[in-house]
Amino acid sequence: MDPSLLQDFLTESGELIEQLDTDLVRLEAADSSEEAQELCNGCFRALHTIKGAASFLGLTAVTTFAHAAEDALNKLRKGEIDVTEEVMDALLQSADIVKGMIDELSAGEEAQDGPQGLIETLHALAEGKTQEAGATSTPDTSSENAAAPEPEADDTTQPDDTDKPGTPLSLGPQKLDLLEFMVTDLKDASKNIGDTVDGLCNDATLEESATFLVEVCDEMEKTAEFFELDELTSLIKVLTTVSGKLNEASHETIEEIAIRIKAAKVLIDQQAEALNDLRALSWPLETFCSRLTKLAEDGSIDPQVKGQHNGDVQALLVLDGVIEAQAEVASTAQTQETLSSSAETSAVSSQATEAKQTDDAEESKAVGEPEKETEKAGARAQAKPVAEQTIRVEVSRLESLLNLVGQLVLNKNRVLALTRNIKDQAIPAEMAEDFSDAAGDLDHLMSELQVSVMRTRMQPLAKLFDRYPRVIRDMARMTDKKINLEIVGKDTEVDKSVLEQLADPLVHILRNSSDHGVEMPDIRKKAGKEETGTIRLEAEHQGSHVRVAITDDGNGLDRGVLGNKAVEKGLTTPEKLEQLADEDVFAFIFAAGFSTAQQVSDLSGRGVGMDVVRTNINKLNGTINIFSKKGQGTTIEILIPLTVAIMPAMVVGVGDHVYSIPLQSIVEIVRPEPEEVKSVSGHPVMKLRDIVLPLVDMRERLNEPPIEDGGRFAVVVAIGGQRVGLCVDRLVGQQEIVIKPLDDTYTQGGPFSGATIQEDGEVCLILDVIQLIRNNAPTSNSESKAAA
Amino acid sequence: MTTETQAQSTEEINSAIDKASADSELLQLVSFEVGEEEYAVPILSVQEINRMMQITRVPQSPPFVEGVINLRGKIIPVIDLRKRFGLAELENSDDVRIIVVEIASRVIGFTVDRVNEVLRINSSIVEPPPAMVSGSDTDYVQGVGKLEDRLLILLSLDKLFTADEIAEIEHSGSQAA
Repeated sequence: MDPSLLQDFLTESGELIEQLDTDLVRLEAADSSEEAQELCNGCFRALHTIKGAASFLGLTAVTTFAHAAEDALNKLRKGEIDVTEEVMDALLQSADIVKGMIDELSAGEEAQDGPQGLIETLHALAEGKTQEAGATSTPDTSSENAAAPEPEADDTTQPDDTDKPGTPLSLGPQKLDLLEFMVTDLKDASKNIGDTVDGLCNDATLEESATFLVEVCDEMEKTAEFFELDELTSLIKVLTTVSGKLNEASHETIEEIAIRIKAAKVLIDQQAEALNDLRALSWPLETFCSRLTKLAEDGSIDPQVKGQHNGDVQALLVLDGVIEAQAEVASTAQTQETLSSSAETSAVSSQATEAKQTDDAEESKAVGEPEKETEKAGARAQAKPVAEQTIRVEVSRLESLLNLVGQLVLNKNRVLALTRNIKDQAIPAEMAEDFSDAAGDLDHLMSELQVSVMRTRMQPLAKLFDRYPRVIRDMARMTDKKINLEIVGKDTEVDKSVLEQLADPLVHILRNSSDHGVEMPDIRKKAGKEETGTIRLEAEHQGSHVRVAITDDGNGLDRGVLGNKAVEKGLTTPEKLEQLADEDVFAFIFAAGFSTAQQVSDLSGRGVGMDVVRTNINKLNGTINIFSKKGQGTTIEILIPLTVAIMPAMVVGVGDHVYSIPLQSIVEIVRPEPEEVKSVSGHPVMKLRDIVLPLVDMRERLNEPPIEDGGRFAVVVAIGGQRVGLCVDRLVGQQEIVIKPLDDTYTQGGPFSGATIQEDGEVCLILDVIQLIRNNAPTSNSESKAAA
Repeated sequence: MTTETQAQSTEEINSAIDKASADSELLQLVSFEVGEEEYAVPILSVQEINRMMQITRVPQSPPFVEGVINLRGKIIPVIDLRKRFGLAELENSDDVRIIVVEIASRVIGFTVDRVNEVLRINSSIVEPPPAMVSGSDTDYVQGVGKLEDRLLILLSLDKLFTADEIAEIEHSGSQAA
């Protein structure tokens, strides 16, 4: 199997499954039947696509399972069974299983067969037994279906109740139902033919194209049988046979065949359009088919028709008696409505014209000529179809691109530093100026390049948010609560790495909100609230940050309970507790092993989740705030920088060393006079306008010997409402820094969020403002911190 | 988990030594000096050997951590082996080198007084560390190679740089303080 085909399948199916999962949850909650119908169709389409691709790649386990799920879904789609929780459980589980199979395949393993019990449940559903179905379904049908080696054929040739008349297509209602999908399959296959047929005329690609053509035709034959149109089936059968013989045919014959295959494609396209409208077209195809077969068999062709079509598809069809006269041609041409097919047709005829010219020229010119012409036409044809809007790029490539940009930024910094120094050197002023201009341009371009590259890594939060309705649904099911999840602002874009780091924390918070926040329906009712609790997940940009907030209208946090627990755990003392603000008491829930739940359940209560939240958000340089009112609900607010890799920073000097402070956390920089610095219960503070600003002596925190003179700077930093002034010795300047991890166990203890490389190649540590603020209050902490 | 893998890898090394002695295989080592002693590590674990470069101090890291260096864009910690072995600081000499090693996907540099040579010794001349020096603090000594005119101390890098030991050292350090 072609690994790239498999890779495409895995990527695509992964996305489809995610969509399926989302749609299924939405389906369960759908208000109107139209909406439900649409979602149903979407789910069905997703499963059908996965099934089709899997069967093409010979992935029997996936095909079988997807087929079973598809059958069940089909019943649902037709409204023959209702959307009940049992049905949805089965379908959601199926989505999980297919996802599991795809994961297995991604990991390079064979996909395991789906659990037989679930398959049987699905079959039972497909047969309309909803309630008592369970795992004990009729064994004969399930085994028959599960064992079917070619489920694709299975659903195309169901003989039951198909003979009922009533539509021009004379298809049973069951088939009519599937018509749309089969037509899509037919069109896809036909498009594949169109794409491949040009490759036939080139010796280099002939073999490959011919093999592919056989595959496509073979697949299409099965699809065609579905429609029970003898003409269509036999036409495609002829195509299959002909394709199989292409390798032996002469060059000249192939060109004759290729034009006929194109003609057949045009016919199939028209048929597909008609079928979509429940009409069936009919042509006298005997001559066409027999001539084509004969051509393929021995390359012979009626001298009267040879070359008469002048490479024109329509002319050929007239010639073979398939269609009549000019008027007819015009009207059939009009049925080609879609953009792509019309582009293809024009491509075909343009190539046909070229082909005609070469035909004429062939007698006198070299053999290489027609190939060249064909290529030209091919290029022209390629230029015409609608351009692709997106391309898939491996993440590793983006990573290395970002890495390079990071190095470039450092290099640019170095060039800028050189430029500043150049003025002191004995260099002609003009040259120095030119140099400085060039450096300025470089600076400008670098920032643009940086922004563009960062933008390639931005992804909408929808990628995460769309998973959560399922999480909430499962939570609600397990706890017997009624919970409604509202999502706002899922189009907000963040860096890919931010997105990944956010995934787990959000799940934990949502679980917490639904398990501990939202109350049981009866309790809510007593409290005068609506029975259904609401959890609101919203995201928005705030400057260079993204704000994600999760709000529930549940019970709220209890300061008393949390405080007692914190004292019990030794996190604080009763005296200190009294002085703490509500927010600070609430923040105890982020401590590791902190849980007020009486019982540890499957869902939560181990006290691990919130610790994960804090750790991950810290990694992202973000902050968390909790607001809660007892009885009214809780809001957990997360603020994180948009990107994490490159950012502007202020470089400051403390002692002989320099450190970087992320610019986004700096509010202002002041220069306090020594007499302005006061002491409140042992902690240095200063009065800044009307607030009392706590100060952090960075010399002390960074183990530098204290100095006396007061000519120092206070860099005021703020995280989530909290402000402190970091006292540093010098300000070096503003710089773009590229964040490198400082994650070795040896270097983790200090108040640093990472390191960066300076202009001269030296390492400069980045101060972790959050940690500095958090550990500010108790001074004894700073010593014991390293040991902890 | 980590201790397990570490134990496993030492076992592997030990068994590798056993096997080597049985087959009397050659060990390829890099030898260097720290203080008065000569040490050696397997050449395969050595990524590169650099001259002294600018080291950035990392406040609040363990005392024997000299700081971090920029190794072609990657930030790696550098350990002062003198401090790790409890020796007095050396006045900077031109012979000081940073040996960069990779242990369990962790890249670490350490400073040594000088690098001597790359040598091959027969594994049969390596003996287990004498009981007197084998204690909890010196279990990074994996064996002693008896050369004709000198002794070579074979170091187990993963024991030398395990996280557990750091915690222990720090703990005892902070207790003392």
